[in-house]
Amino acid sequence: MSNKVTIRRLATGVPGLDDLLGGGLPEYSFNLIAGTPGSGKTTLAHQIMFSLANPDRRALFFTVLGESPLKMLRYQQQFPFFDVAKVNQSIKFVNLAADLLDGNLDRVLARITEEVQNFSPSLVFVDSFRSVVQSSKAVPGDVSDLQHFVQQLGMQMTGWQATTFLIGEYLAPEAESSPVFTIADGILWLSQHLHRDSMVRKMQVVKMRGQAQSPGMHTFRISDGGIEIFPRTLLPPGNIGKLTIAGDQRLSTGVPALDEMMGGGVPIAYSLLSVGPSGSGKSILATQFLAEGVRQGEPGVIAAFEKSPNQLLSHQLNELIESGKVGLIDTRALDLSIDETLHNLVQMINGMKAKRVVIDSLSGFELALAPVFRENFRESLYRMIAVLTGLGVTVLMTAELEDRYTDLRFSSYGNAFLADAIIVQRYVEIDGQFRRVISVVKIRASAHSKDIRFFDITADTITIGERLTHYQGILSGDASSTLKS
Amino acid sequence: MAKTDTPRHQIIRRCVLQRPDAIASVSISLWERLASELVAIIGQGGFDSLYSRSLHLAVVTFPWLAAGYPSQQAGSRFAGLQTSLEGRDFTEASEASIALLITFIDILVTLIGESLTTSILRAAWGDDALDIAVKDSDNE
Repeated sequence: MSNKVTIRRLATGVPGLDDLLGGGLPEYSFNLIAGTPGSGKTTLAHQIMFSLANPDRRALFFTVLGESPLKMLRYQQQFPFFDVAKVNQSIKFVNLAADLLDGNLDRVLARITEEVQNFSPSLVFVDSFRSVVQSSKAVPGDVSDLQHFVQQLGMQMTGWQATTFLIGEYLAPEAESSPVFTIADGILWLSQHLHRDSMVRKMQVVKMRGQAQSPGMHTFRISDGGIEIFPRTLLPPGNIGKLTIAGDQRLSTGVPALDEMMGGGVPIAYSLLSVGPSGSGKSILATQFLAEGVRQGEPGVIAAFEKSPNQLLSHQLNELIESGKVGLIDTRALDLSIDETLHNLVQMINGMKAKRVVIDSLSGFELALAPVFRENFRESLYRMIAVLTGLGVTVLMTAELEDRYTDLRFSSYGNAFLADAIIVQRYVEIDGQFRRVISVVKIRASAHSKDIRFFDITADTITIGERLTHYQGILSGDASSTLKS
Repeated sequence: MAKTDTPRHQIIRRCVLQRPDAIASVSISLWERLASELVAIIGQGGFDSLYSRSLHLAVVTFPWLAAGYPSQQAGSRFAGLQTSLEGRDFTEASEASIALLITFIDILVTLIGESLTTSILRAAWGDDALDIAVKDSDNE
């Protein structure tokens, strides 16, 4: 039997944050929310506060110099989480400017303690802590004062059973050696990353005592609804190995002859890459793949980057989406992160219990990402495919490839190795005609046809034709009949 | 100053007129209670700037209010206002006091919204002041 202390974890109410923190906010912890101006510190603090505060768990929000409290109230009210009914009931705002003017930290501490005693909050916020620090720097010999102040504050707030947040403006974790960093139980670092013209927000849990936080930088977005974090989904360790996929379980692509070429269809939870030049029927194959799923009672999800959702996709795809059996991921924004897309995908897959996912296309996807993410597109894509196939869904990705007749490539990014199976479509010139041919290049751990076969596209369907037995030089694009020669 | 007579304006009017024989002291008490609530939230500086702005606007209609600008001495923020109000007859003093409060509260509403302002007024003047005024105005 264990008599060890159990730390209660509070659900912050900020989408994604609890995962980042390693399961929620430890009760009575002393935390720092740090970041550059405009990185969303106050918004994050408010969102946590309004979500957690109730008559039994009251919150005290101290405003110090920094941002004018009038403006803070004015702007924060724009977020839906700002519940005016909680103000003065569960939440109290207190301005400390007057107590700080002479830079006397003892007075500030006394005032904070007094307010905490009177209101007995379970949550205490100090915004911004940086102004407390700067103001005290006017007083000589203040380093120990400040250390003393932070230590006292941390100790007293824990003593008063309050979970505390200091909000401070700092530039980078490495550049700072403030005593608050040592004393804090948790540090949340918010930053803005500019790359070319686009800005991406990231959050890092630098430290979180007592629990395993999710390491590294995670993207987040501040929208009209507030902050939403998209944790870099690493495969949950428990999941690995649990999901065993029998190689003999196959999904039909919706094109019987193609299934046959693949040795009976796509193995479940495989990632299938369909490569070919523009107009070679990749999107049509993808639609057939989804339609076949719907026919067999397997819902699907498509992230369509090639066409805007407003434009008519194909008529067939439109019908599938309207019927609700295929989910469409919104891909309008051009500052997406892979994590956000993956987050949306996983949410929709779980919601719809989807079995099939289409990403059309990888090149469009790359363009839709914020430039800063394009640099490690391959790495992120690898992670994304691992997560999706880890969920047991079968993924069909399309990749545009300009026809080059001198080299045989399956993807312009060298992404081909990421896929478990590859289908190549291309044009060849035969008898003064552009003909389409298709071939299965690779299926991991499975036998498949080595044939190159003609195919035609008629009314949204792919029809596979005969084998190009009597031709040679097909891959050079200039096929000639071996019969005539 | 108050062109439209909203429920909020009626509340202020009622609060100021609650004791017609003591317009000045009632007004100062309303201001003191409002200030103590508001300063805690938006700070002394925030309150003073709003108060100065309201006076500036009210002086257009009631030039004699100009003597009411806050003095430098601590604790006597509304001493000047009290003196100004006491030097006028009932009608002038009450109208000016109502106008000044309405101006101040209206500015506050434009900045932080109706509901938050009402919640602060409630905390400052008490639920009774606000609820009775609303109830009475409904019956009228």
